Amino acid sequence: MTTRYVGAPVLRVEDPAFLRGRAAFIDDIAPPRCLHAAFLRSPHAHARIVRIDTAAAAALPGVHAVLTGEDFCDELPFTTTIATRPECKTGTRRLLPLDKARHVGDPIAVVVADSRYVAEDALDLIVVEWQLLPVVTDPEAALLAGAPLIHEELGSNDFAHITFTAGDPDGVFARAPRTFSKRFHFGRTHAAPLEGRGVVADWDATTGKATVWTSTQMPHLVRGMLAGQFGMPETSLRVICPAVGGGFGLKVQLFVEEAIVPLLSRRLGRPVKWIEDRSEALGASGHSKEVVMDIDLATDDEGRFLALRGRYVGDGGAYLAHPWTSLIDPLCAASFLPSFYDVQDLAYEVRTPFTNKCPSVAYRGVGWTPGQAAREILIDEAARALDIDPVELRLRNAVPDGIPYRSATGASYDGGSFQGAIRRALELVDYDGLRERQATLRAEGRYLGIGVSPFVEQGGWAARIAAVNGFPGFAYLDSASVSMEPDGTVTVAGGFQSNGQGHETTMAQVVADALQVPFESVRVLQGDTDTVPYATGSYGSRTAVVAGGALLRASGDVRAKLLRLGAHLLEASPDDVELVDGLIRVAGTPSRSVTIKQAAAAAYWGPRPDDLDPALSATRSYDPPETFSNACVVAVVEVDARTGQVAIERLLVVEDCGTIVNPLIVDGQVSGAIAQAVGAVLLEGLPYDEHGQFRAATLADFLFPKTTDLPSVEVDHLETPSPVTEGGFKGMGEGGLIGGPSALVNAIADALVPLGAGASVVRTPLRPCDILELIDAARAAV
Amino acid sequence: MSDQDTALHRVTLTVNGTSRTLDIEPRTLLVHALRNELSLTGTKIGCDTSQCGACTVLIDGRSFKSCTVLAVQADGTSVTTIEGVGSGRELAAVQEAFKQHHGLQCGYCTPGMVLATVELLNQNANPDEAAIRHGLAGNVCRCTGYSGIVDSVKAAAAAGVGK
Repeated sequence: MTTRYVGAPVLRVEDPAFLRGRAAFIDDIAPPRCLHAAFLRSPHAHARIVRIDTAAAAALPGVHAVLTGEDFCDELPFTTTIATRPECKTGTRRLLPLDKARHVGDPIAVVVADSRYVAEDALDLIVVEWQLLPVVTDPEAALLAGAPLIHEELGSNDFAHITFTAGDPDGVFARAPRTFSKRFHFGRTHAAPLEGRGVVADWDATTGKATVWTSTQMPHLVRGMLAGQFGMPETSLRVICPAVGGGFGLKVQLFVEEAIVPLLSRRLGRPVKWIEDRSEALGASGHSKEVVMDIDLATDDEGRFLALRGRYVGDGGAYLAHPWTSLIDPLCAASFLPSFYDVQDLAYEVRTPFTNKCPSVAYRGVGWTPGQAAREILIDEAARALDIDPVELRLRNAVPDGIPYRSATGASYDGGSFQGAIRRALELVDYDGLRERQATLRAEGRYLGIGVSPFVEQGGWAARIAAVNGFPGFAYLDSASVSMEPDGTVTVAGGFQSNGQGHETTMAQVVADALQVPFESVRVLQGDTDTVPYATGSYGSRTAVVAGGALLRASGDVRAKLLRLGAHLLEASPDDVELVDGLIRVAGTPSRSVTIKQAAAAAYWGPRPDDLDPALSATRSYDPPETFSNACVVAVVEVDARTGQVAIERLLVVEDCGTIVNPLIVDGQVSGAIAQAVGAVLLEGLPYDEHGQFRAATLADFLFPKTTDLPSVEVDHLETPSPVTEGGFKGMGEGGLIGGPSALVNAIADALVPLGAGASVVRTPLRPCDILELIDAARAAV
Repeated sequence: MSDQDTALHRVTLTVNGTSRTLDIEPRTLLVHALRNELSLTGTKIGCDTSQCGACTVLIDGRSFKSCTVLAVQADGTSVTTIEGVGSGRELAAVQEAFKQHHGLQCGYCTPGMVLATVELLNQNANPDEAAIRHGLAGNVCRCTGYSGIVDSVKAAAAAGVGK
């Protein structure tokens, strides 16, 4: 088969609608007679609700309802657990709390009014009498006996305690010539898509059917969870996902607001809209990646890794992310403790306590990000202690390229370019030259730092990858359909849900090649559970692998029928015809051919074989085997020792995601994820004070990376197609934020070595004030 | 709220070349007037506090963050929103540059980014990379890492957008 589109930098078909302002996002959905909701949120981190007086709010002209937990007490709570992990407790969450608030931003009451302006006026008139409770915001403190209980019914704050051992790590550590340890606290981050969450619901009491528009990455899962919540058939609930202004994993949760807004519509008999404002987004949607880690590494005298141990305490926040739970960070971190280093003796321990903070949810790279940071900074410290170049140390321990390998935690790598990507990155940055320049600059009192962070990235989250990450025993059903219309154009439909990745383009590329039709003749439908086949959504670097695979299978079925139709028209045997460049032709006799258009028309109107089911449509699914991308990030920074400012000189990524569907889009994904890494390390803090007060409620406090905060990211590709997945796709959406932070952290630590502060880098973020503190402490210690 | 606060005010402004008259509460933000009263939903809201730039529009040719402008303050002005960029079926050159150089992913920052680019190039038709980055520092994109946006602006300048 000739490949024409897969691998080419095809321009996105999505773009004109966005560029003209014509794309409809959730706040652009405006059904007639729509009312507007606003939530009253707790100003306290932990406080009993003694009394709520809603009378004045309800009396305000234009207000239709003011509801509190009492009004929802007949509704099912969210019930969240990992059923296949007996180490987990089961968390429940009422839609609105009856008893107490558990974090600043916890929704307490909701107002529905003619406009958002009036709804917010009414919020100011609600009076809540609070009784303050003791607060715990530190995850390790939350595990101590006597800590304030976030959920009394669970008896402790310890949601899950998971341990794992492979081989004999303790024995190896006892005998090892060298051992190294590092405690690292990866700070809270926020996916913070530019568009926050939002829900519009229209519940028709006469038919019992409801339509819910929501800004999500998983329309069908939302439908299933809400239908269960409301006790209605899935066929009575339509979930429509309009254009999504960024998700990055945040929108892979079901939020209580998504259940409350439809109930408001049912109650009032009118459509209701709720659009999150930025303060709600920052303090009450979901935070991510805060994990306190203790990592131990045993080596021989030549730096060969012998064993690893890791202890991971995730900060779960006040409620469990539904349905993934707070294990999505620390358990994923632990599951990739060995990365692609050849270590067969290891152990890990994972805990994820509740605290009086915003719930912890998925964000691009989930726990792989903090896990990578802790391991890789320890490796750099070990390299300094062993007096081995840090990159050389990694190369000595990396799994060889191109061969299958099973990690000690049970991941089956399908062959990558682990060493090749490192070597290519070194060549592109002129690593030896950089080290020389670093030495020269140091002599001048300037502090250049180099951080090299190679990593392995799971691709295509589905049953097997989930199991590898510690979520075993769940099947995934991700289907997609391919239909050829009578004129030979093609309709693709699937429950994948683009939130900026360009699936309308990439999925069309895959199908256009498989059917040998023009890219322009393929349209892609998504985002409406009434019109597209079931799938679990777009998250976990999965769409190229999972949806791409399902579409290759479906295209194969349609292609087989086209060949039979073509052979019938050509009066040839189906075994003797081939599909090339849009033509079905007799192999060896190219002059005897029909167009795909002719074959498609024949399916609908004849002539066609009597024994052929002519439906030119196929729906197939794909639950792929394990597949893994890999990459290497290099960060070059200069630290100004007087101001603590970090200037980023270069950010380079060599990535290998197997078969590349669209290099333009891959580069964009890498670059965007690296920018988020810059934010996580240098800018973005989500601080809570000792009272659990949230200190980053606006974008003046939580700083997004701006144009001036980073250079253009340099991206280079290696291409090692997966031998096990359909199409050889591996998936790559998250990697920049897996490997990026540790490259930056290591570059900063490297810069600080001559100042005596290299090993004192123990947490993120590393803002100028944090770096000055490290430098001052090191000077004071001299 | 007192009656005076909610009494409707008449505002007349030219939006994308057409004169429009609105009777609105004085507290109405320009972005809400554009989106809710005039159905010009291309202008987005990202932060409510003028940090992100998603709501950028041009007022009398200069870029403003319409989430922190009251509609009454715009009385008598000429406002350009993303719906006023380009004409008929064609993308304007600045929009075409963003398409050609993958200057957008989710598209939410895009209308504001395009209008900020128009103003940047009107002020400086041939900006170097530093000037581009400085000029767009008030507009946040969470998806692209800005490489594609910077390339798009360079291409728009080369296409003569600011001339």
